[in-house]
Amino acid sequence: MDLSFQEKSAWGLLLGIVVVSIFYFPAAFKIVANAPHGAPLIGISIVGVIVLVIIESIYHAVIAVASGDKSDERDLLIDLKAERNAGFVLGIGLFWLIGFIIAQSILNARPVPNPLEIAVYIILAITVSEVTKLLWQIWYYRSGV
Amino acid sequence: MRKTCVHNNIRKLRFENDEMTQQQLAERVGVTRQTIVAIEKEKYSPSLEVAFRISEVFAEPLEAVFSYENA
Repeated sequence: MDLSFQEKSAWGLLLGIVVVSIFYFPAAFKIVANAPHGAPLIGISIVGVIVLVIIESIYHAVIAVASGDKSDERDLLIDLKAERNAGFVLGIGLFWLIGFIIAQSILNARPVPNPLEIAVYIILAITVSEVTKLLWQIWYYRSGV
Repeated sequence: MRKTCVHNNIRKLRFENDEMTQQQLAERVGVTRQTIVAIEKEKYSPSLEVAFRISEVFAEPLEAVFSYENA
């Protein structure tokens, strides 16, 4: 496949986020369910971010050396369109979370989610929206924009 | 594959201009080679500015390089 720097970057970010998320979210929800305070969650969140930054820095340095890091108006248009689509997903995620919290409090089916749980759900919504953006970017690069 | 309504003769014009490569054209226009590929395959409609720069490289008027056909 003939990929530009920006498309390679999208693939790398997508794989990095998916791999880190596979380890991060099960651990985060486990901590939220068991830990009485937020210190462990902050700990694994910092580790997750550091791991992602290290992976992406190395990957981007390699592809920049291999193919340059030039971008142009097509990359910008694709980025903007993908960002718009991701914005919808983030909005839906956050509205779902608000609805979930309100429903929990009205129905009283179980205790209202604690702030740590809400924080993890927000991080999940942001992550899903970022993955959506990257998938749209790859789609636009492959199918045309 | 999504095709645009803007058609072009870039491949033919490159051939007629000493078989100019996509990379050479991209460098002269100031875009990536992948963008030239996408324009040639009609998967991307360039901005007016890039369209004018492409026709300037070939020393042709804009309408000799690009045409519009309403789908």
